[in-house]
Amino acid sequence: MLLIQSNAIADALNSSEWVFPIAECFHIAAFAFSIGMIALVDFRMLGVGIGRSTPSQVAKATAPWTLLGLAVVLLSGPVLFLSDVRMYLHNPSFRFKIGALLIALIFNYTIHRKVALSDSSSAAVRVVVAVVSLALWVSVVFGGLFIAFA
Amino acid sequence: MILEFFQWIQSTDFMTFIRESGLTYPLIMSTHLTCIAVFGGMIVITDLRLLGAAMQDRPIADVINGLRWWKRLGFVIMVAMGIMLAGSKAVDYYPNPYFWVKMSFLALVGVHALIFRPSVYNHPEILDASPVIPTRAKVAGVLSLILWTGVLCNGRLIGYYEPPQQKGGVAAVNK
Repeated sequence: MLLIQSNAIADALNSSEWVFPIAECFHIAAFAFSIGMIALVDFRMLGVGIGRSTPSQVAKATAPWTLLGLAVVLLSGPVLFLSDVRMYLHNPSFRFKIGALLIALIFNYTIHRKVALSDSSSAAVRVVVAVVSLALWVSVVFGGLFIAFA
Repeated sequence: MILEFFQWIQSTDFMTFIRESGLTYPLIMSTHLTCIAVFGGMIVITDLRLLGAAMQDRPIADVINGLRWWKRLGFVIMVAMGIMLAGSKAVDYYPNPYFWVKMSFLALVGVHALIFRPSVYNHPEILDASPVIPTRAKVAGVLSLILWTGVLCNGRLIGYYEPPQQKGGVAAVNK
């Protein structure tokens, strides 16, 4: 643990007062971007949003952008984490957030993807999947913000 | 004048309640952040469509018209949450340069809307009729992405501002 705490990234992060805020801006912009893309698919499955397009069209159009956003999120997140490993590991909001994130990621690339890409999915299934998806991602955002308040 | 208004708004019962109740403030902030994600995505996909980078198989009109009212709804919720966040700590926000930079970016978002609504957002079918996406639409998309990024980053940086220690303040007390 001490080894992780005193790593080169932590040193860089803690040596300049600007590195952490900038990494955080990337993290927030990228999660807003990727969750926003996923939410577009969810809204379409709920029957609102980009008119006259099917959920699969929205899902296909947003997929590469979602992946790009998630890549930046998953690169900037560990940078923030490594700045103070011990604090994060003991933070209940952080643990909740990481749990919700793992479930959300797995859900997104399995059930969510399958239902969104299949134009034969029933309306009820779509609604349930969209609501679960939105609830998971909102949980991740809330958990992330509450790290600072835990 | 502005400072007096900020002092007054912070002292109202409603804003005092938000400031003093432990969970309300972070819950409002989380909702603000969730709106940024959900409705920010709608802004980004609109801009990417204007640039010809996403949803190319859908007419620009479908993207803009389909999302217009959802973006407006999201904007209203986001601003309402933002007013509560800033209003409940208005006196702290007053000297914060990032807060004013963020407000300036928001004002520029308003100017952007005044400039580009007539020629881009209110008549997307004209853009679809053009063989290539007109330059004005691409300029609108790029500027929108830049301005909203400015709003977002400066919004986050508000939390990092520390007011300068009053010169001699501690020493004066010690004397």
